[in-house]
Amino acid sequence: MTTYTICVFTENTFGLLNKITVIFTRRRINIESLTVSETERQGVSRYTITIKHDKREEVEKLVRQIRKVVEVLAVFGYLDDEIVYNEIALFKVATPIGGKPIDIETINKIYKAWVVYWGLDYVVIEKAGNENEILDFFRYIKSYGILEFVKSGRVAVGKTPAGLVEYLPEEVHWEYYV
Amino acid sequence: MTMVAAQDAAALEEVQTPAQTEAPRILSGAQALMESLIAEGTEVIFGYPGGAIMPTYDALFDYTDRLDHILVRHEQGAGHAAQGYARTSGKPGVCLVTSGPGGTNLVTPIADAIIDCTPLVCIIGQVKSTLLGTDAFQETDIIGVTTPVCKWNYQITNADDVPAIIAKAFYIAKSGKPGPVVIDFTRDAQVSPMTKPYEYKKVETLASYKPRVIPKDEHLERAAQLINNAQRPYVLFGQGVLISGAEEELKAFAEKTDIPCASTLLGLSAMPIDHPNYVGWLGMHGNYGPNVLTTQADVVIAIGMRFDDRVTGDATKYIRQAKVIHIEIDPAEIDKIIKADAPVVGDAKETLKRLLPLVKQNNHAAWRNEFKKYDLIEEQKITQRELTPEGQIKMAEVVNMLSEKTKGEACVIADVGQHQMIAARYYKFKNPRSYIASGGLGTMGFAIPAAFGAKKGAPEREVVAFIGDGCFQMTIQELGTIAQSGLPVKLIILNNNYLGMVRQWQQLFFEKRYSFVELQNPDFVTIAKGFGIAGHTCSERENLGESLDRLLQSDKPYLLEVMVEKEENVFPMVPAGAAVADIRLD
Repeated sequence: MTTYTICVFTENTFGLLNKITVIFTRRRINIESLTVSETERQGVSRYTITIKHDKREEVEKLVRQIRKVVEVLAVFGYLDDEIVYNEIALFKVATPIGGKPIDIETINKIYKAWVVYWGLDYVVIEKAGNENEILDFFRYIKSYGILEFVKSGRVAVGKTPAGLVEYLPEEVHWEYYV
Repeated sequence: MTMVAAQDAAALEEVQTPAQTEAPRILSGAQALMESLIAEGTEVIFGYPGGAIMPTYDALFDYTDRLDHILVRHEQGAGHAAQGYARTSGKPGVCLVTSGPGGTNLVTPIADAIIDCTPLVCIIGQVKSTLLGTDAFQETDIIGVTTPVCKWNYQITNADDVPAIIAKAFYIAKSGKPGPVVIDFTRDAQVSPMTKPYEYKKVETLASYKPRVIPKDEHLERAAQLINNAQRPYVLFGQGVLISGAEEELKAFAEKTDIPCASTLLGLSAMPIDHPNYVGWLGMHGNYGPNVLTTQADVVIAIGMRFDDRVTGDATKYIRQAKVIHIEIDPAEIDKIIKADAPVVGDAKETLKRLLPLVKQNNHAAWRNEFKKYDLIEEQKITQRELTPEGQIKMAEVVNMLSEKTKGEACVIADVGQHQMIAARYYKFKNPRSYIASGGLGTMGFAIPAAFGAKKGAPEREVVAFIGDGCFQMTIQELGTIAQSGLPVKLIILNNNYLGMVRQWQQLFFEKRYSFVELQNPDFVTIAKGFGIAGHTCSERENLGESLDRLLQSDKPYLLEVMVEKEENVFPMVPAGAAVADIRLD
């Protein structure tokens, strides 16, 4: 199974998430992760969807079906080596009095993770990276006692000098988001 | 669906009287809808009132001089009627129904229309926007329900949005690959006045949705090169030819290149049956030669068709030897089933127009004659037997005789099943838009409502529907609509007291285990009479001619029930999942 990252750019209208996801559901393609956010251009939303599939041509068909949704402005299907991508994870780790103290230096220098909140007997550590890097840190910090772990979906940009606006319909003047 | 909720009385009081000043008349959302429909050239609405759509029906009451409305007996009927109308007129069919069950009853026609590319604008009432999500009376999430089966949907909660959204709806429904759009119209948006003067601007382009009508030159050149070098080129055309109005362009292309042309079920009548380049129709119950010779073509030119599994049989074995040119307006259809060597994304008419000067004048008489050999076999093994006057009347005889009596000029509506295939096999179509049936979805009950819808879309044409006894009972209540509207459609029940196609499959593939396919039918003629529609039954062959004459001579709606052979099978037949080369003649 190969991981594909599908980036969908849409007009920011009501109920669009459902219109996109039913295309996956109907073809029994499981969504591994999904993030939606505003792009740098006003009124344009970006969906980053990761799936695993063993047939490239089926993914291409899926991409063309997504393009058919009226509000969709552009769709791209990427392999991992065609994008720069990341995820972010938060670990809530127990630090009870008398317990094993966490090693901030290792966390920072080896794992490039940061404590973002100090509670009375716990800390929240933020770790950004790809799936494997987050998993490595998970293995390291596990022995301290993970109270909660949450990971975002993937965010990704294509490895191309082109900007999003080059793929958007020309006749519209696409203002920056802020 | 006529129940009116208690809350409606209160809601009606919300209507605010617009200020009587010099300013332009301020319309309510419902009035804006009427004006918008008129601006789009709507002639007729097929609909059924109910609680949440009542303010719109109230507005309609003042527009009956400009908007015709046909009151159906069930919302499914409204949808199929609008499909029939769209298929004969080429214009979007408009439906108007209430929320909840009104909307859900319309889901089957919407699903039918998306798969058969029929432009519909479905306006569905909805509860007040403040009640959304509260399980209010007759509240259904119709946007959620219809999303997977419509081309586009939108919920209007503000009267000001009406003109722009209706303009967008019509544009989306009819452009590109046509399809159904759904407008979910909340009650408050219907009753409240617009906050600005009504103004209508037709939509001609959208930023996010741009169907490619004009094909790319390089695609045309690649296609022309393949066509010019082909020894046994073969055109497979579909409904795209009818939708884009490319009948003349197809003829010109076929005549210049001398390529044999076969139709899909929904492409039928795009080319006259007697055209020298026309070889028949494709698919599970299509003609023998057109199916088998797909294995001999070296270049296949697919025009406005989508390689449905009923056409390809086992797609992994379909036209493997051929180079494939796929002319199609929907890019998602390219490579979906059959890999295209030369895809041409564009409208069929515009593409054929531009392709014509690029292709060479040619002569493929020898290749075309190969089809005739197969025609002869089919004639001897199937057609002769089906048209031989012995035993009980056969469906084929009825269709054949009607075809002769109407000189191939009628608009034939078919329901779903054996009679649908027999109507396609034996009617000798002369004019375009003459075969209207539910192809992709196979919706039983399609024909009665589609027939009066088709008649509304083409009042000058003779509209004759072939309907099975099973199908007839799925939308039998629409006889009431026919009677009330007085639309002179001609209905022929081909009655074998069976769900014939299912029975045929049970015979051939389920060891004749006839599981729930025999029907105890009512007296159809008496039922029609109860609705105020004249009719009679024909059981004897010698009465068939006269029976059809009576049907055709009636200037009112008429029902003819023909008792046909009980256990007739439709052949040729490509068994489901088999390669087309494995087509069976008996």
